[in-house]
Amino acid sequence: MNTRRFVILFALAAGAILLSSPVLAHHSTAEYDMTTVTPIKGTVAKFEWSNPHAYIYIEAKDDKGNAVEWTAELASLGMLARVNWKRDTVKPGDVITIYGNRAKDGRTVMRLDKIAFANGQELSAHVG
Amino acid sequence: MVRNRIRVSMVIGAVFLFVLPAIFAQTGNPYKATGVHDLAGVWIIDHFQPALFPKGTTPPFTPWGEAQFKKANTLVNDPNLACLPHGIPRLMFVPLPMEIFQVPDKVLIYVEAGNQLRQIHVNRGHRNDLDPTYNGDSVGKWEGETLVVDTIGFNDVTWLDHVGLPHSEGLHVVERIHRADHDTLVDDFTIEDTKAYTKPWTASQTYHLKPGWEIAEYVCDNNKYVYHEK
Repeated sequence: MNTRRFVILFALAAGAILLSSPVLAHHSTAEYDMTTVTPIKGTVAKFEWSNPHAYIYIEAKDDKGNAVEWTAELASLGMLARVNWKRDTVKPGDVITIYGNRAKDGRTVMRLDKIAFANGQELSAHVG
Repeated sequence: MVRNRIRVSMVIGAVFLFVLPAIFAQTGNPYKATGVHDLAGVWIIDHFQPALFPKGTTPPFTPWGEAQFKKANTLVNDPNLACLPHGIPRLMFVPLPMEIFQVPDKVLIYVEAGNQLRQIHVNRGHRNDLDPTYNGDSVGKWEGETLVVDTIGFNDVTWLDHVGLPHSEGLHVVERIHRADHDTLVDDFTIEDTKAYTKPWTASQTYHLKPGWEIAEYVCDNNKYVYHEK
């Protein structure tokens, strides 16, 4: 394999890794519509307990019954712990409703406001 | 004679031990105009100010400053997207707690965001030939109960606020940090950067004391995806 071909393959591989990475980054609330709160009911696929934001991934259905994955972004772990969140507050398989501010660009991503468990009990994600 | 001296000493000691604290307690705010140098504790902002110039107000931009601000996009080029340091003054406007320590020759501010440690040197002036850094070189002096902090020596990577106010390496920040009362801390900023702004401007942030809070670990572990699969 010559050097040039190796460089191209390396660049393609690096690009593939970057593109397959989740769109997780540290950012402001500017990307969310802070004026409305949307409820989404679904099944927890994963709860990622990480900084600078924790994430809940939900498998839900759209209006037509098609499967759609939602991502709810939470605050940082220190602040969540101060309002009684733990790494096992939600678990894969839990049926919950997430309430939050949707992304302005239409992606199925929200900034989490609160969750409601199957028994109706609610837990706020407000940390301020 | 010796016994009398001991008695007098005990009376004076009792005055210091019991009477003076009682007087301070009655005045309500022992930090006001007494020259007490005590900023220690865990503090958090009382309200979040993403923009230091809210809608309807205009920063005194130079043409260069305005051009830089127009390039700012919180979703694309916020220096903090990859958890780079916030820099000063933005670090002081982050909605996460900070703990202030006073040690000989320094006031240290340990901020939960990124577990950044800010050093304010109170025993020296600015060093010569500063290498530009994210948080610059902070030196402080006490004026009564107020810590006056002068910071220069910045790089030009950071934003001044969360929406993209720009600055150059010529940034000069002066802060007046004081306890308005036992549970309230105030940081008054004067920001000067002749490349970005036509005149100095001011900002202010108030903080609440949070007894019992501890600074949590905060590592941007989401960044692991740059090198590791999800």
